[in-house]
Amino acid sequence: MGLRIQPAVIGCAVRPVIAARNRSLEETIYDTAQLALRDAGITIADIDGIVVAANDQFDGRSISVMMASGPVGGVDRDIMSTPSASEHAFIMGALRVASGQFHTQLVVSWSPTEVSSMQEAQRLGTDPYFHRGLPLDEMSAHALQASALEHAVPGARQAAEAVAAKNREHGRLAWPDPPLYPAAGPLRWPLTPAMTTAPVSGAVALVLASPEFVTDRGLHDVAWLRGMGWATEPGFLGDRDLSTAPALAAAVRQAYEAAGIGDPATDFDLAEVTDATPYTELLAYEALGLCPRDAWLAGSTDGSFARGGRVPANLSGGVLTWNPVFCTGLMRIGELANQIRGKAGAHQQANARCGVAHAGSGFALQYQAAVILAREPRL
Amino acid sequence: MSNDRVGIIGIGQSEFRSRRDDASYPELVREAVVPAMRDAELDFDAIQAVVYSLSPDAMVGIGNAERLGVDAVGGRNKPFLRINNGGATGISSVIAAYYHVASGLFDVVLTAGADKVGECGDSQTVLNKIWDPSYERPLPLGTINMLAMSAVRYMNFYGMTEEDMARVTVKNRRHASLNPKAHLRKPVTIDDVMASRTISWPIKLLDCCPQSTGGAAMVLASERFIRDNHLDAVWITGVGHSAETYWMGDRMGNNPTAEHAGAHALGRSFEKSYRMAGITDPERQVHVAELYAPFSNTEFHCIDAARLVAKPGDSIARLRDGEFELGGRLPVNPSGGTLCTNAIAVTAMARVAEVALQVWGRAGTHQAQGARLGIASGNGGDHQIFGTVVIEA
Repeated sequence: MGLRIQPAVIGCAVRPVIAARNRSLEETIYDTAQLALRDAGITIADIDGIVVAANDQFDGRSISVMMASGPVGGVDRDIMSTPSASEHAFIMGALRVASGQFHTQLVVSWSPTEVSSMQEAQRLGTDPYFHRGLPLDEMSAHALQASALEHAVPGARQAAEAVAAKNREHGRLAWPDPPLYPAAGPLRWPLTPAMTTAPVSGAVALVLASPEFVTDRGLHDVAWLRGMGWATEPGFLGDRDLSTAPALAAAVRQAYEAAGIGDPATDFDLAEVTDATPYTELLAYEALGLCPRDAWLAGSTDGSFARGGRVPANLSGGVLTWNPVFCTGLMRIGELANQIRGKAGAHQQANARCGVAHAGSGFALQYQAAVILAREPRL
Repeated sequence: MSNDRVGIIGIGQSEFRSRRDDASYPELVREAVVPAMRDAELDFDAIQAVVYSLSPDAMVGIGNAERLGVDAVGGRNKPFLRINNGGATGISSVIAAYYHVASGLFDVVLTAGADKVGECGDSQTVLNKIWDPSYERPLPLGTINMLAMSAVRYMNFYGMTEEDMARVTVKNRRHASLNPKAHLRKPVTIDDVMASRTISWPIKLLDCCPQSTGGAAMVLASERFIRDNHLDAVWITGVGHSAETYWMGDRMGNNPTAEHAGAHALGRSFEKSYRMAGITDPERQVHVAELYAPFSNTEFHCIDAARLVAKPGDSIARLRDGEFELGGRLPVNPSGGTLCTNAIAVTAMARVAEVALQVWGRAGTHQAQGARLGIASGNGGDHQIFGTVVIEA
């Protein structure tokens, strides 16, 4: 089965780092939502549904959607929240448009850094009896995954180092002000400073619309949703083989089947993937059908995924350039939308017509999603 | 708009209690999922996607606790996401599952969750953290004094008395005594309620919902799947959400954006649901209602907002006349409602489940006779985010 109605991304605002100290979180969310609406050429009056995603522990609130309702225009509107992942807000928004009951959806996610200890906030998300005492945080889970991959795949470490260098290089072009690559704090073996980036505050907003709305408004700069898939792995790390990504494989199958993707290496002009560490980008190459694991080292060092390569990956610089922890997944989708709409700025890929975004989140990317966007609505 | 309807084919609820020391959080979810799957006559391979229902993480003491519920709902390697709209989460999760099916992407979707409010220590301490940290949190606001302010205003506008509030409790406790799943099942009298200690005037202890622990689950399916597999179902024919301002002060004063005595956004949500279901005269077309009312006074403005009476405030006299009793003209909260059971993450799902059972004719000892069309609602946040559904046989 496919979506009954095909949504399109008509507006986007990606703000991977928010340094303005004179804006509250509410004002930041308002600014980001308004930027996306302005990008779409519409106003909040045109929005008939909203989906937001945030992490209560990072926000320091019990129900984040409450505070956000005003800044995103939720008063007297249909609003929902998906705190499981930022990318889930996009999926929910797309499903709502596809249901035929909405013409437009505003999708917003954010991730502040004011929490006194992000590691402690993440640790609260672990099982209280078995994992919390380890202690476990996202960096530890990523490190366990990196270790598992180094053990399973010869050359994985060198490939990961090459991926990290590529994304940092992409990041230098993407952002006019040179990124600082702030230190990630205490590291976990085998991750190195070059493979991680410290959290920053960020926000992202997208506007989705039905084909009818796109036609009625005469919109041309749109990115059509060709396919999407999402899946989860179990919550206990001990129940997973961290050297594999079966949930991502399941998500990719859904997305590719819907979009009719036969050969991803030629069907896609670019990819935006969640490089929480370069090891997760390698897993994404494999699951997306872009590069099998036994070719990771060659593929990562021969320029295949660099600017000008076969399928450039993370022209934005990815999470390794900016890491607003909770909203990095939706940010990948936003970056892809900007590329397809020709609005990516300094890191625009020429003639980007079809691409794939991989969004992952949680401990060792428990949640996985794949989203395919294209200039044309159909193949 | 989609031509295919979305049906409910399976319902499961655990028994709701103050504590369940014998069941971990995932086990509690599982207690609801298993009967829902049995009710739907499906195995887990048939479930194509899962919507997880969980409101504030702090109630279960685990951040993003839905991650630990993945295996309890059979979600491994399947599409899975969580909804949190505060107290409305349960109904919002059903509506999210509805969109999953209505989008055309899935035929069968499970929505499930659980909460351990009874084991969280003090829910009002958790709920104080829903408010703005600078202005409202230090007052300190809680959901009880928030809705006490609503009660005072409703008294002022419509003449509600403390005895009227007590009548709601008496009615709902009588209903709950017939519902084996309900948490507070002991019938009480008006005198009992009036004699109970004041929590935040005019709300007394017996005007308050309990802190409950339990789970709920529902299976939704496309009309095509239901027909092809010869399954029994009831149909979701209307859905909606709407929200009010976050700021309490903007609902009071001389020119409020939405008067705190009532439930403006709940009315807007019902408008949307009714329009979708083709309901033009709810007072006569609705047969049964499960309305999310955690405190006795709020049932009145929920009835008003659902337009089950001609104008706001009429609900007071109609309740005195017994119209909303089981056996009355239009039973409201025949399960005992939120006032008798409140496991926040799934309370609003239980409202939908109970209405579904009513129009299905499967509500057992608390069945409203002849009910073929019912409505359910959920309230979340600081009486801010509302969800509504219409269900028909």
